[in-house]
Amino acid sequence: MNMQTCRLMSYLIMLVLSVVSVAAATGAENGKCLSCHGSKDIVGKGGERLYVDEAKFAATTHAMIGCTSCHEGVTPGHPQDGFRPPKARCKECHSAIQSEYAQSLHGSKAACNDCHNPHTVKKPLSVSGDDINAQCAKCHGTQKIITSHAKWLPQADLHMDAIPCITCHTGSKNYVITLYIQDRPEKKKHADFKVATYEELARLVPAGKDIKSLVDKNGDGSISLQELRKFNIEARRKDMRLWGMMTPEVVTHSYQILDNRWDCSFCHAAGPKTMQTSYVAFPDQNGTYSRVAVEKGAVLDLLYGTPDFYMMGSTRSTPLNIVGALILAGGLMVPIGHGTFRFLTRKNRKEH
Amino acid sequence: MKPTEYIYLTPMPVRIWHWLNALGIVTLCITGLQIRFPEYVNIFGTYKAAIRLHNTAGIVVSISYFLWLFYYMFVTRSLAKLYVPNLEDIKRGFLRQALFYCFYYFKGSPNPHHETPDNKFNPLQKAGYLVIMLVLLPLVIFTGILIMNVAPLRELILVAGGIKMLVSAHYLIACSFLAFLFVHVYLATMGHTPFAHFKPMWTGWEESEGHH
Repeated sequence: MNMQTCRLMSYLIMLVLSVVSVAAATGAENGKCLSCHGSKDIVGKGGERLYVDEAKFAATTHAMIGCTSCHEGVTPGHPQDGFRPPKARCKECHSAIQSEYAQSLHGSKAACNDCHNPHTVKKPLSVSGDDINAQCAKCHGTQKIITSHAKWLPQADLHMDAIPCITCHTGSKNYVITLYIQDRPEKKKHADFKVATYEELARLVPAGKDIKSLVDKNGDGSISLQELRKFNIEARRKDMRLWGMMTPEVVTHSYQILDNRWDCSFCHAAGPKTMQTSYVAFPDQNGTYSRVAVEKGAVLDLLYGTPDFYMMGSTRSTPLNIVGALILAGGLMVPIGHGTFRFLTRKNRKEH
Repeated sequence: MKPTEYIYLTPMPVRIWHWLNALGIVTLCITGLQIRFPEYVNIFGTYKAAIRLHNTAGIVVSISYFLWLFYYMFVTRSLAKLYVPNLEDIKRGFLRQALFYCFYYFKGSPNPHHETPDNKFNPLQKAGYLVIMLVLLPLVIFTGILIMNVAPLRELILVAGGIKMLVSAHYLIACSFLAFLFVHVYLATMGHTPFAHFKPMWTGWEESEGHH
């Protein structure tokens, strides 16, 4: 090992150690804050806003930078000295998002933390479509939204169930189909289907086994069409189903009403090629979701790939198109075949 | 020269129903084509226009179907007599009629079936219309109603096997209807003149002389 390699190795070791030590220090520092703020008792002392759900906070990126990064100036005498530590403003770190959001239709209507609690905020791809819509529904009542969309949008209720609001109302891009496992809460026979929780799914797999094995049977980190079909057939017996939503991969904060979304062909005439990518999103213990990629084109499968997900026009099955064409060809054969013989034998009928 | 005799073969309610149904089914086929293949077919301007027209035509055809069923079941009470093949049809009629279409027609033999108001359809027509009117049309209406109301009728859709099962069945039945349309229009030209069978569907009266 030469000197240069040795030096490089030592730099690397120092870098890893410094990251680990910062994380450990942040963790210890967070632990100090959470010893009070992580307990529900604090709600009685100063309100709900002082409570931080430890598990949910741990899943946020904010947990990595530590409480005091945003709440600087916590005094040694806190909280007895009565000094209220300040809060950082979101734009101090998220300036690009802030300026994009400020220019949008929504900018003057709600502040960042009206939608995103910094202590529970999740990455866009770790949130379910239902969670996104539940956030919007805090101000925009679901029934009211369905009624207003129904004035121009066929099956508005279905669209609201299958699309997160941001898919149409932001400039978000790169749409994929995300499938969520749904069941009936508390196994009630006629209850509406809801996205299954981690606990509900954990009960269905042997102790210690990953819940992803419910669909990803061989545990290779991707879901084949065969695995998807198998799960769907099993799910039917267990009163579960996979519910698909059209979600964006790249999320923006440019809230707006986009002209091209009035045109159904934006989604429905995009052609089967655009609907090839799909994922199954599994709930995690901390309320986030992890996605597992599904074999390309699974949503176009004739019946059992996604039996409850179909987008008119876009997810049609090619084998079914061929069967339909054969039926039409069969029908056409009668006038063509019979008509040809009829023409050739026309003299026979004239004689009679 | 023997005077031409006419028989009143198709009562007015049936004729109105027939042409309303024809218009409805052609509209459904064309709009359905745009709905399934929107990136290749755009006849009605927008996708939404095709959907709205498809839904409207579907409702018109459904109502007209139930009126037809009501008329034949409770007004004329001739549904079974006209549309259900009898024992004679099964024993000999199917084969005789099939042989006529596939063989004797080309030789110039006359049609073994003679239309009367009580026996309008030949055995093969009876069987064909029975499948279309009492199996395929109710199925396409049922699947169509479910597909039109996915969110409110979700539980029924799951019982039926999921939305893909319904869409596939709806599409294949639609293809069968279009295939039937080709056969139907062609066979209608096989009267003693090419338009002999079209006239009674418009006026109600069919020439009785020189029947084939």
